[in-house]
Amino acid sequence: MTKCDFASVISSSQNAVRRNLDCLPSFVFSFLLLLLLAAPGAHGQVANSGGTSLDELVQQLVDRVAGIPGLRGPLRVQYFQEPEFAAKTGKDWQDTFRKELEKSRLTVTEDAGATLLRVGLAKTPTEIVLSAGARLNDKEEARFVTIAQAAFGVPNVAVSPIRVDQQLVYQSADRILDAAVATDDAGPGLVILANRPAGLVVLRVGGAGAAKQPVSLTGAGVRASRDSDGELQLRGNDVDVVFAAKACHFSWASTPDAVCRAAKSVRRAPVVLRPRCGDDSWRLIGDGSDWYSPELLQVVPDGLARKGSAALLSNFPGPILSVSAGGEQNPDSALVATRNLRTGNYEVYKVTLACGN
Amino acid sequence: MKFIRLRWLAGISAAVVVLMLAMCGPIGATKHPRYGGTLRVQLHVANLSLDPREWKPGSVAAADSERLGSLVYDRLVTLDEYGRFQPVLATEWSHDGATKNWQFKIRAGVKLSDGSALTVKDVAASLQALLPAGMTITSGENGFAIHSQRAAPDLLEQLASGRYFIFRAQPGNAPPLGTGPFVLTETTPPTPSEANPSVLKPARMKFRANEECWAGRPFLDAIDVTLGDPPLRQILNLQVGRAEVIDIPPDLVRKARQENLRVWNSPPEMLLALRFDEAQPTTSDGRLREALDLALDRETMANVLLQRQAQPAESLLPQWLSGYAFLFGEPMNLERAKELRAALPANVVGGTEPLRLRVDAVGDLMKLLGERVSINARQANLSVQLVPHAVGGTATASGPSPATGLHLFAWHYDSLSPRVNLQEMVQYLRAETAAEGANESTNPERLFADESGLLGTRQVLPLMVLPEYVGIASNVRNWSVGPSGEWRLADVWLEIGEAAASNGDGSGEPNGARGVHP
Repeated sequence: MTKCDFASVISSSQNAVRRNLDCLPSFVFSFLLLLLLAAPGAHGQVANSGGTSLDELVQQLVDRVAGIPGLRGPLRVQYFQEPEFAAKTGKDWQDTFRKELEKSRLTVTEDAGATLLRVGLAKTPTEIVLSAGARLNDKEEARFVTIAQAAFGVPNVAVSPIRVDQQLVYQSADRILDAAVATDDAGPGLVILANRPAGLVVLRVGGAGAAKQPVSLTGAGVRASRDSDGELQLRGNDVDVVFAAKACHFSWASTPDAVCRAAKSVRRAPVVLRPRCGDDSWRLIGDGSDWYSPELLQVVPDGLARKGSAALLSNFPGPILSVSAGGEQNPDSALVATRNLRTGNYEVYKVTLACGN
Repeated sequence: MKFIRLRWLAGISAAVVVLMLAMCGPIGATKHPRYGGTLRVQLHVANLSLDPREWKPGSVAAADSERLGSLVYDRLVTLDEYGRFQPVLATEWSHDGATKNWQFKIRAGVKLSDGSALTVKDVAASLQALLPAGMTITSGENGFAIHSQRAAPDLLEQLASGRYFIFRAQPGNAPPLGTGPFVLTETTPPTPSEANPSVLKPARMKFRANEECWAGRPFLDAIDVTLGDPPLRQILNLQVGRAEVIDIPPDLVRKARQENLRVWNSPPEMLLALRFDEAQPTTSDGRLREALDLALDRETMANVLLQRQAQPAESLLPQWLSGYAFLFGEPMNLERAKELRAALPANVVGGTEPLRLRVDAVGDLMKLLGERVSINARQANLSVQLVPHAVGGTATASGPSPATGLHLFAWHYDSLSPRVNLQEMVQYLRAETAAEGANESTNPERLFADESGLLGTRQVLPLMVLPEYVGIASNVRNWSVGPSGEWRLADVWLEIGEAAASNGDGSGEPNGARGVHP
């Protein structure tokens, strides 16, 4: 498995997604073909950035439930959770709830005649709501623990296994237009072109360059646009940002004030990767035409007349917004920017062509 | 052996993918958004207003109005997918510890659709007309403050949804000016057809792109909205390329999907429920209400009548909004319903005098549901008679409508605040006592208690919650919806080629230019 250079910018180790290829021997087929089979990602505990885990919230709820006047065990517990949300949080919290309940001397039973306690974990537009309710003496008693949804960390990203190494290296609520491997002298990292509410900015993340201030392009005369069509072109400390009819330039080495001018755009060539084994080259093709659907990144043999005849397919949780090469040091990898349709977050993945097991 | 199996699997896979790729056409289809083209939208609603001051909370018509309102207006803030508020026309906000005093700073350099600058005065005037009583606004140089008599911890939820758009009122009947991505250019009311004057041609509204929109010009050149077309005709229009976006009633969703139309649906956004009125005597008898409640077969209504396009509802607020809807609910119990019915005195309605159910004539779905309620009631020996009611309260041909003791109504959730939704619903139900309680707190235990109390009176019996269904043409790209259900048509673009064909302009020329502002 290829070591990722950008681990330092991952928000949470739980979100690092790396998948291995069980490659078929290349001599068996003239074209290596890999199909996708969806499989659930590993689930972990949802925890907020302040360190409060879901387990702690469950404990708080159990404390409140134990305080309901007249509530005696044994209890028949019925759990409720929307499947989509359960995919994010897992169901470990239910075990925790049962254990904590029993610690509070409220035993749990399957007996249909026992008092029914309904327990749910839900997401509302702004909050995570943990609730429990029981009917006692013809009165509905309910207890709640809530926490701001925004207080939780970035949820786990469930992605499907593919036959290439794919790792989430950066994510943000800001709209990411493009991402590129940093080429400056501040160490490994990424350069991100993002559209923030305040305007377009170029960010340096990861490595020693993380401390660099974002460079605003809005001040240099780039108007807000809904078009996600901007590209980063890096050479050493120089950064060029190319739009449909405008180009901006600045340097990390000097005071990074961007200067923009009208220019005919010269776009980068399609990304071609060379795996560390064999002499074949593979072209990456992302469609990005429909922001409504998850997308397949197509990895096709470069230079073949019939491009559609064979491909590795790698799925992403949303449309592919940009593909950029991993740089001279990483000829077998590329960066893919996408928008996760499930979370709404913008994400950057490092995709590496792997060889063998 | 393993190797042979892998080879066999890979061989099949190769064939499948080659076939898939061949069917998908050439690799390298549209990558970038395209500017240009007209999006044709067809809505079932016959009339709507673009003045947020006229939108009635909870009404279905207001929901359609809000949808189109988001084309021409912006709000102060919006909510992202992580439940965090993000700036729109307000760039900064803060509040005191009691959440009674809120400060907002307004985005600079924003222009209204007539080219004039949006001012703090505009923002304050529009919000003052929309905010509930008890909230006042004071303006400053670059911002304003909202002062509330009561704590308003959910003010941002309110401002990010519903009618809380920012606009400048215009004299006369002209719709207000906005800062949104489109500008209303033409409104055509329903007019008699030239061929058959007894038939009305549907109303139309035309919007053009706002070139000066602060958030960037939309990809589309224009949006052409047709109002009042029957649902089946809309589906046909979508199929033959005469429309790109249509709204689909839940009872036609299955048909649309069977015909391979692309259908998008929202979370449940509309409640269908029964309300007891006191126009008929004895409807306040708790046993009558409980008997009807226990006789209702909500599962069958949602899963059979609506073919799983709706969810049975036991609460007033949906699960996605309150987080606790699952705590409500009592299973259908026909035997208990019959016992309660048998214990009712003879003078209670539902026996010799039927309980009359008013059904607003807003579509076949409501009539079907009304009939199902009547059938369920009959199983508990309760007599329920349907009384179709024209929207607007016009009398039937045979005379004034008889007094009704039950009303089947639709309620649209138009706020992201569960407290506001519950409060507005309570006001609609005229349950003043509960309204006072629901007014004060966003605490879920308090909200639950309020809702529980209201449901306990059984003045209102929830039936089901419905999502919004939208049919979308295959050439529509980047369809997305905001947190409060507004269609983000400013980010939509039309696929080249297909768009020209489906727009039927006959020119054969694409109606969009790739990545270049027209």
